[in-house]
Amino acid sequence: MAAFSTTDTIVAVATPPGRGGLGLVRLSGLAAEPIVRRLTRRRTPFVPRHATFARLADVTTVDATDDVTPPARIVDHVVVTWFAAPHSFTGEDVVEIGAHGSPVLLQRVVELAMAAGARLAEPGEFTLRAHLNGRLDLVQAEAIADLVDAVTPLQARAAMDQLEGTLTEAIGRVDAALFDLIARLEASLDFPEEGFHFVTRADAAAEVEAVRATLAMLVTEGRAGRVVREGRLVVVTGAPNAGKSSLFNALVGASRAIVTDVPGTTRDVLSERVDVGGVPITLVDTAGVREARDVVEAEGVRRAIEAQTVAAVIVEVVDGSAPLPAVGAGGGDAAKDRATSPAPRIIVVSKVDRPRAWPNATLGDAADRIVETSVVSGAGIDALRRRILSALTSRDEWRDTPAVTNLRHVAQLETALAAVERAAQELDAGATEELVLAGLSDARAALEAITGVRAPDDLLRHIFSRFCIGK
Amino acid sequence: MTFDVVVIGAGHAGCEAAWAAARLGCRVGLCTLSADTVALMPCNPAIGGTAKGHLVREIDALGGLMARAIDATGIQFKLLNRSRGPAVWSPRAQADKRRYGAWMRDALEREPNITWLFRRAGRIMTAGGRVTGLAFEDGESVACSAIVVTTGTFLNGLIHVGDEQRPAGRAGEPPSCDLATSIREIGVEMGRLKTGTPPRLDRRSIDFSVFGEEPGDDPVVPFSFLTTRIERPQVACHLVYTSERVHEIVRRSIDRSPLYNGRIQGIGPRYCPSLEDKVMRFPDKSRHQIFLEPEGIDVDEIYVNGLSMSLPRDVQEEIVHALPGLERASILRHAYAVEYDFVQPTELHRSLETKRLPGLFLAGQINGTSGYEEAAAQGLMAGLNAARIVRGDAAIVLGRDEAYIGILIDDLVTRGCLEPYRMFTSRAEHRLLLRIDNADVRLTPVGHRAGLVDAERWRLFEARMERLDRNRARAATTRVTVDGRRVTVEQALAQPPVTLDDVRGGGFEMDVDPERAHLDTATIEAELRYRGYLRRHAADVARARAQETRAIPVHFEYRGIPGLSREVVERLTTVRPETIGQAARVPGVTPAAVAIVAARVARGARA
Repeated sequence: MAAFSTTDTIVAVATPPGRGGLGLVRLSGLAAEPIVRRLTRRRTPFVPRHATFARLADVTTVDATDDVTPPARIVDHVVVTWFAAPHSFTGEDVVEIGAHGSPVLLQRVVELAMAAGARLAEPGEFTLRAHLNGRLDLVQAEAIADLVDAVTPLQARAAMDQLEGTLTEAIGRVDAALFDLIARLEASLDFPEEGFHFVTRADAAAEVEAVRATLAMLVTEGRAGRVVREGRLVVVTGAPNAGKSSLFNALVGASRAIVTDVPGTTRDVLSERVDVGGVPITLVDTAGVREARDVVEAEGVRRAIEAQTVAAVIVEVVDGSAPLPAVGAGGGDAAKDRATSPAPRIIVVSKVDRPRAWPNATLGDAADRIVETSVVSGAGIDALRRRILSALTSRDEWRDTPAVTNLRHVAQLETALAAVERAAQELDAGATEELVLAGLSDARAALEAITGVRAPDDLLRHIFSRFCIGK
Repeated sequence: MTFDVVVIGAGHAGCEAAWAAARLGCRVGLCTLSADTVALMPCNPAIGGTAKGHLVREIDALGGLMARAIDATGIQFKLLNRSRGPAVWSPRAQADKRRYGAWMRDALEREPNITWLFRRAGRIMTAGGRVTGLAFEDGESVACSAIVVTTGTFLNGLIHVGDEQRPAGRAGEPPSCDLATSIREIGVEMGRLKTGTPPRLDRRSIDFSVFGEEPGDDPVVPFSFLTTRIERPQVACHLVYTSERVHEIVRRSIDRSPLYNGRIQGIGPRYCPSLEDKVMRFPDKSRHQIFLEPEGIDVDEIYVNGLSMSLPRDVQEEIVHALPGLERASILRHAYAVEYDFVQPTELHRSLETKRLPGLFLAGQINGTSGYEEAAAQGLMAGLNAARIVRGDAAIVLGRDEAYIGILIDDLVTRGCLEPYRMFTSRAEHRLLLRIDNADVRLTPVGHRAGLVDAERWRLFEARMERLDRNRARAATTRVTVDGRRVTVEQALAQPPVTLDDVRGGGFEMDVDPERAHLDTATIEAELRYRGYLRRHAADVARARAQETRAIPVHFEYRGIPGLSREVVERLTTVRPETIGQAARVPGVTPAAVAIVAARVARGARA
């Protein structure tokens, strides 16, 4: 994606995920009101700033102007409010659809709006538009740029993936396979005089088919909603044996993590869906960040650090009964990460049932963010829940839900699949490389919208690293 | 003496620059050391190749010289990628090197607006922050409004052969050091690159009987839209392979290679690997191709394509003699590597004028590119735009969807160079649009409006466009039988196995100029074959073009804009993109940052 378009109409679920009673879908842009009018089969415009009861129908399968066709299936009874420009959150025409709160239903509403011409909003895009239209102040605007940029790189996606088992790892693999095939086909065009084949027609056909099959499988899985992620990530981090796993178990309410006194016991990342004050979150227990002793632990530490890059809130556990570790000791990467992760950080002083080894004031300014806990007495656990809740809600409106991120993935996968199918047909019909590549490049663009866009020279670099080319 | 434009250097960039400025009516001074080195080919004696052939066709379509020069002096022509579709066909030709230079010199000598200045350029003279003249090393000077610098590898050039080092721009020619200092004093960011050339052998000492022969095409597809036939006799090249024995010599002597022992700091082109790189980086490859290319019909120099290196002379002798057929070959000139200064092209506007010194234009290798064709393309645009600013006209900038020349210059000024830049078709987002067959359709009107295209070329072009329009209309209405069904020619050619020849046999009558039949048929075939994709991509092209029309003010202030990181501010301030589209291509600039800049620019425009 070269740049956000700021002229089309965008749509996304606006409320935090969960099975609350109500959920909100928001559209912004010139076509927002006409799109919703079409979805609710109204013949007259909505009245600005009035809540209007309406039946939202699946109009994608029937012609709305044809009275003879049977009535479209009603999806939900909703309340529609039109905020006419410029008196809205984004400064554009905004329509909010209040529907019942099931994630599946809300996702369906978004899909219908997309079918009617809206584009799925990029993360933070509503806020970005609000900023562009002068509706937000400087501090807010800086925060969004962080968010919008932070959600794109493959690295951050992959981190999510390992935590939650989403599509991204599989997408990354199929993207890499496609890129490698494209590089070889491009090399055949740009270096026809090398005296050897970079890829034979039969191999290209087999590889295109493998890519096509994988994409088709991913689209099916994505559509089935098996990968819908729910809940913001709350990542528990800290030095080895600080008591992270005990705290995790106390918050989850079940003994899921193995708790021992041996530092480095938690070698991987554990996650659990929990409810904090009615808000669903994904609580993540990470390996203690320290110099790892072996490969498995090193992997755990790496994932712990990655988890922080995508965290909504970081809970840092410090053992109150043991001397404070020297700054940066064994946690050089974590310290570095602290500077870059934009997430709010809560400091938990654990094991306060034991004698304290240091006063809170030792932490200086950070002392304000301390919650003292003991999993033995249960002290401080509720206070921590409240603190997590308030940290989550303070930044919530700027983030699209992870579920929407997945919907975006599926949309891109479908585009990629269609493009690869075109390429496969071309290959089948005996077309030459430049035509096959036209389809494959469209697919690559769709996948790179998920995995991160490569620079033009990356392709050449890939070719030159694999083949000795040139005279 | 007073000139409008002075061009420093008469290589491939300098010749086109001088020609373009002179065609626009400017008084041009062409400064070079000797009449014998005009349009010299210091490396391989060939023009064109994949994507480079596209550049040459585009230069021709705009009214430049290179295509006609090679058509007049080429001794072996090949249309590369002929087995593939028309978008990637690319002409390449071996040149009779001496005659190529002579043809170019003759063309420039016949242009009355050009005055030759056979002297060594020294210092760029300025007043009031712009160019006012050029001082030569001998102390004399000329006045001018614009200077186009096309010095190739001459800026602080340093040649390496093994341990030997000598300051030189090319073999046997002294480098330009005063000029390098003068350019550095402007404050532009500079860097150092490296390139190399293989040994030249004496034809009479080679046993050709052992080689595979590589003939050219017959019939020949010429480069220029004006050329109807190739007059010069055609010759063959020869193919030989390196062997494990050769690789062993390289490995044994690797610490005597300045490329590998740290004496060379400059970065070389990856797509032209030295023999050292081929052997050391790809140890699994048991042999590499070497082409023996004649440098002319009646000269004895043979260019050994694929054997560039920086190894010492004795090792070069050993390597050459280890190749079959070359056991007794005598080396006329040894291979060498050359390091030279270049100016980071992010210092340039898209017109190729430097941002720091109005009136100073740079073109060719000095901007970090490699290749005669890349140089010539920049030279033509720099000469054209230098003439235009002298006349008070706005610069002409070609779009990425309009020409490979547009991609070349946009890549350079937007992304800068970390290694020598060569054009590839994979750099084009809209490859199916940018073909050799339609270079004239895309660019001859641009050249005509600019004043580069003469009356004869324009007349031929208009006639061709009339034939093309007629053929398009007939293709939409003529029906032919394919697999027992009656379909239009348009529909028939959308099926890959069906070719234009098939439907022409089946009742499709084309209007073709017999002298230019290959062009008339290629354009129709390409348009029909790619129709689906061209239509699908039309929206992308329109969207991208819309971004290119959104100009960013020259002195736009990025600092202090909320939401832009310091890194993004720094990059945008260095590159100073001229449009929102260009800003989006600056490395490290995120989509969100572009949206914020776009909104700021729009707001500023309203205020």
